[in-house]
Amino acid sequence: MNSILYDTYTIFWRELKRYKKSRSGVLIRLIQPAIWIIVVGNIFSETQPLIQSVGFEGEYIEFMAPGVIILTAIFTSIFGGVNTLWDRRYGFMNKALTSPISRSAIALGKMSAISLIAALQASLIIGIALAIGVTFPNPLMIIPIMGIVILFSLGFSGISVTLAATAKSQETFWGMINLLGMPLFMLSPALFPLELLPNWLAVVTKLNPVTYTVLLVRELMTGVSEGGVPILISIAVIFAFVLAMVAIASYVFTREVNKPF
Amino acid sequence: MPKGIEILYSIETKSLTKSFGDLTAVNDISFSVEKGEIFGFLGPNGAGKSTTMMIFTTLLKPTSGKALIAGFDVMKDAKHVRENIGFVQQETTVDEYLTGRENLLLQAKLNHIPKNEINTRIDEVLELIELSDKQHQAVVTYSGGMRKRLDIAGGLLHHPKVLFLDEPTVGLDIQTRRKIWQYIKKIHIEFDMTIFLTTHYMEEADNLCDRIGIIDGGKIQVIDSPQNMKNALGNEIISLVIEKNNNYDSFLVELKNIEFIKKINDEDLKLILFTSNGTEVIPTIFQISSDLGIKIVTLSLTQPTLDDVFISYTGHEIRDDKSKFNRKIEHAKMKRLRA
Repeated sequence: MNSILYDTYTIFWRELKRYKKSRSGVLIRLIQPAIWIIVVGNIFSETQPLIQSVGFEGEYIEFMAPGVIILTAIFTSIFGGVNTLWDRRYGFMNKALTSPISRSAIALGKMSAISLIAALQASLIIGIALAIGVTFPNPLMIIPIMGIVILFSLGFSGISVTLAATAKSQETFWGMINLLGMPLFMLSPALFPLELLPNWLAVVTKLNPVTYTVLLVRELMTGVSEGGVPILISIAVIFAFVLAMVAIASYVFTREVNKPF
Repeated sequence: MPKGIEILYSIETKSLTKSFGDLTAVNDISFSVEKGEIFGFLGPNGAGKSTTMMIFTTLLKPTSGKALIAGFDVMKDAKHVRENIGFVQQETTVDEYLTGRENLLLQAKLNHIPKNEINTRIDEVLELIELSDKQHQAVVTYSGGMRKRLDIAGGLLHHPKVLFLDEPTVGLDIQTRRKIWQYIKKIHIEFDMTIFLTTHYMEEADNLCDRIGIIDGGKIQVIDSPQNMKNALGNEIISLVIEKNNNYDSFLVELKNIEFIKKINDEDLKLILFTSNGTEVIPTIFQISSDLGIKIVTLSLTQPTLDDVFISYTGHEIRDDKSKFNRKIEHAKMKRLRA
């Protein structure tokens, strides 16, 4: 059992080393969420009365900042699995597969590295949010928020690793990612209050684990509870989502890498 | 090896077969490699070399048959096989953005080298492949040969019982290739490990291997030492080109009756005769041809090379991929990639 932890850490270490060496990538990945928070945050600043109608006192940009933090987490982690494809193409995967480490340790190591990287990117976005005037009523809340972001990203990295393990080409992978990423983000209260959605949309939205994560982070960040979902329910949904994704990813990854690429 | 001591084979296969759909990439292969040997698989692209190596390194499961590596079954005991092998792939697989040392550190961790030994092992192989001074530079700054050396170093860091080298010098220039050969020989002596390599370079097989298996169309055509293979063909080769003639068939029959001629390859008006006594055979050939009214266009006498050995067993040169078999495999591979 010790060895699976050691092996997971080996892969985790390698992925982080690679991330550290790609400084330009860190910045490039920040551009999109930065545009969201700066541009969209200001475009919709006049919707403040709507936001206030559901009991939210601050400005729109403060309402949507948690949504953008989660957006960063979603996209960083869902893209994160792509190097699985490179690793299979350029031989690192075979190197790992012919060494005594277990297959699921490879998947777990990748997922934990992706989730940490996603959290780092999200924390940079929190920095940007603070810089443009978003305030935290309780700065200590940043600790549980980061914890949630790491956990949530682990679930999404599971989706990414699963797709990357099954996709035989970059094109398939990116196609699937685009198919999933945007709708999951849009079908959540990231940009708009849950109460104001049409009924059918609210139902769909409540099936999306992103919804619970956004609600939780927003509550921790602004102190305003929205949508009538208790914190414990949100936490339970996130945990269940993450466990399911990690389990599926390790299973699918182990099955797929044993097939010839 | 002295008699009475049980011979330990590093690699043992029995009727090993691998099919992809209706094409058989490896066809009923049985052979063994002794402990401490450098054994080479020589064959053209698509002959089944890499597929065999992927079975040995547990990356592919055989369709039927058996393979034991260091005494462990690749099917039933893959984990133990992995603990006892090093695998250096055809393409270099080092992480470009990590330093040389970091790459080896990763390799050491992947192979569960005890923590307190990692640094000494890395220093040891870095010295062996003469990269100690460049170890803290990112691999992206390394030349192709240096990357290959680093890759090979990674494969032997954990002192595997069997080291697999898939086309170790493909794509490298001739000086670098010779340098890599030196390293491989050095490794073999220093670590006393069995080395199994694939290559399509005659010179490489000749230079490195104790024994060679010539593989073509998924089957082993012959296994022997390079020297024996060349000797078996006699020590000389006569190549002749003749003009078209109705007596061609009887000419061939007559040639076959010359006692010094061991083997004849007939490539339609171009004949290659493997002989042990060329200087005496040539006048006889002239005699026969003038009796039959056959006109000889050119005639030459040469020493056999491994190239000739290859031709004599497979009927074609290693360079020309004229077998239909190759294209089929490539096609199947492409199909899998696109799916």
